[in-house]
Amino acid sequence: MTDRPSHLPERLALLPNAEAAEFLTEGLLTGREDVQSLKLNRVTEPLPHTDRRGELLPVRDLAEDAMAYCRAGGLKATQADAWLAPRLHAALRLTRREAADPGFWNYLSLGVAPDYVIWRHLSDTKVAADRFRGQYHKQSFARLWWAAELFRDGSDYSPVVTACANQDIMNTALRMSVINHRPTAQAIVRLVAKSVITTGREVNALMGAVNASAATLMYDVIAPDVERESRPLLDWIAEAEYARQVSRQELPTGPEEEPAPELSVSALVDYFSDLFADAPVRGREDLEGTA
Amino acid sequence: MKVYPYRRLTGNVSWRVVSAQLKAEGEPWEDVESKYLSTIERVVALGPNDDRPDWVQARLRLRAELPAKAVNSGDTWQDVRVVAVLTERATNTRTAVELSPVAADGRELTGELYLHRCDLLDRATLAVHVVATVDGVRGRVISTSDVEWFVDVIETAPSLARELDVKLLGFDSGASRLRRFKDSPWVVDTTGRLPAVRVNTDFDGLEGLMGGDGGNGAEKTVRELLLTQMCSDVWTAVFHSAVGDLEIEEDGTPLFPHGWQGEVLRAMLPDVYPDRDPEDALREVHAARMGSSAAGWGELQPRIHFAASKRAGVPRTLSTTIRDLERLTQGDDA
Repeated sequence: MTDRPSHLPERLALLPNAEAAEFLTEGLLTGREDVQSLKLNRVTEPLPHTDRRGELLPVRDLAEDAMAYCRAGGLKATQADAWLAPRLHAALRLTRREAADPGFWNYLSLGVAPDYVIWRHLSDTKVAADRFRGQYHKQSFARLWWAAELFRDGSDYSPVVTACANQDIMNTALRMSVINHRPTAQAIVRLVAKSVITTGREVNALMGAVNASAATLMYDVIAPDVERESRPLLDWIAEAEYARQVSRQELPTGPEEEPAPELSVSALVDYFSDLFADAPVRGREDLEGTA
Repeated sequence: MKVYPYRRLTGNVSWRVVSAQLKAEGEPWEDVESKYLSTIERVVALGPNDDRPDWVQARLRLRAELPAKAVNSGDTWQDVRVVAVLTERATNTRTAVELSPVAADGRELTGELYLHRCDLLDRATLAVHVVATVDGVRGRVISTSDVEWFVDVIETAPSLARELDVKLLGFDSGASRLRRFKDSPWVVDTTGRLPAVRVNTDFDGLEGLMGGDGGNGAEKTVRELLLTQMCSDVWTAVFHSAVGDLEIEEDGTPLFPHGWQGEVLRAMLPDVYPDRDPEDALREVHAARMGSSAAGWGELQPRIHFAASKRAGVPRTLSTTIRDLERLTQGDDA
């Protein structure tokens, strides 16, 4: 089985897409071989900063603890997402500008925790290459970070736990730009939390309806968000210099941003519930119409 | 042609970015010189340079004008509002701001949109929508301006087309992945943020030819031709890598990729399939690639090649080169 890299430097680094290709061997994707970590670390680029949040070991430990948490609890690998997403986000403390660099994620998957990627995503006999190097909603660590970033409510990570516990939300909603509007993202999570939508087909039906409706209806107007501020985020990033490791038991706390306005979220919850009631769900009997 | 279940506003909403200001950490707001705003290209260039602070926040002043019927529509549209939305797919950033009327007639509106440097990677798109209450439904989009602006946080020149990123480096002495190409004069790299050409300085004499901008007439001519050929290679490679990695909707519809790949496809598809709209053309290309259409992938290659060489300006440069060569040889004969 693919194992912990034999060479782990002190700091995280960037592994550009072009360099990453070489390490995506058949042997790695089938979980039989390790990554050549000495060779890999020769072609990386350093992070553009020297902050403590660039230390490698805390991230490596988190990946190991996520696996241990599932093994100890007899949980499926998919259940690691809800545990790891908020903790990874709180440990890395990135801006969106930094998180948009695929080189950062390539390094985490190939240089820091390839064994985690194999453990989490090996199905049948092979892991899809885009779990190592891929788009933000596919790559194994990028998808967790972005899920945490887009579903957190200010400093509160509990909506992230709800969203990541549902693989259909991770697979369907995460790639849709409609959730870039915070009240929309919060309303969707709330419908999951209230068990209004549970199955994969229901998630797909809801997301399809929300997306289609966004073409003619502007959610920013019927459910306004507060003005975005960068100060709380930058302060939170600065705090990384003396912050403790993220707690394995308690949910961490994110940047002290204002949560999405309650009025806006509840207005969208009502609206989306109505949309969903009328949406065609594959396999759902249309009982109302037959009365 | 989309069909909407309510009355939409016909006629265009004209709008523009009037001015921009930047703010560095702990400093007051500073005006951005007007040369960084291009109304023709519709780009605001906020990339770093010497006379600009290392900004954390920017502020754009917008101005829009509504057609008269938008504000005197009787009962058709109520509570008409104009909203500007800034989006960047790479960072999943979305910021919306409502503009306010300047005068009582409500036709002219202005507003300020704030953006943060840490939220943006590269290029954000700015679009303007008109929203109203229609048939009792709030927030209906009754019009979207066909004008979009780009906010570029990398470049310092406000230009829509970006320079090709050309880097000179030794393949034999450089990164290991380039070593296998050591006999190649150049390679195209489409995996980065922007497509790039790596020119091999270990290829004898190439650096002198490509690096200079002087030289005699013949050298200049050859350099022009080489650059054009490189461009053509780039566009071909970019097209292939963009269609090779398409997101497919559940119903099988391929989606335009984000970022420059999407821009390139949109620009090239009209030359690949002149008689189809871009969405349709993309579906056709995808079908040909997957072997599920009458026209095979092989048949498509000359079309892709044609679109790439046209985009790179090969025909124009080549005819100039041939003329220049004729002149040079005439000079020799004289």
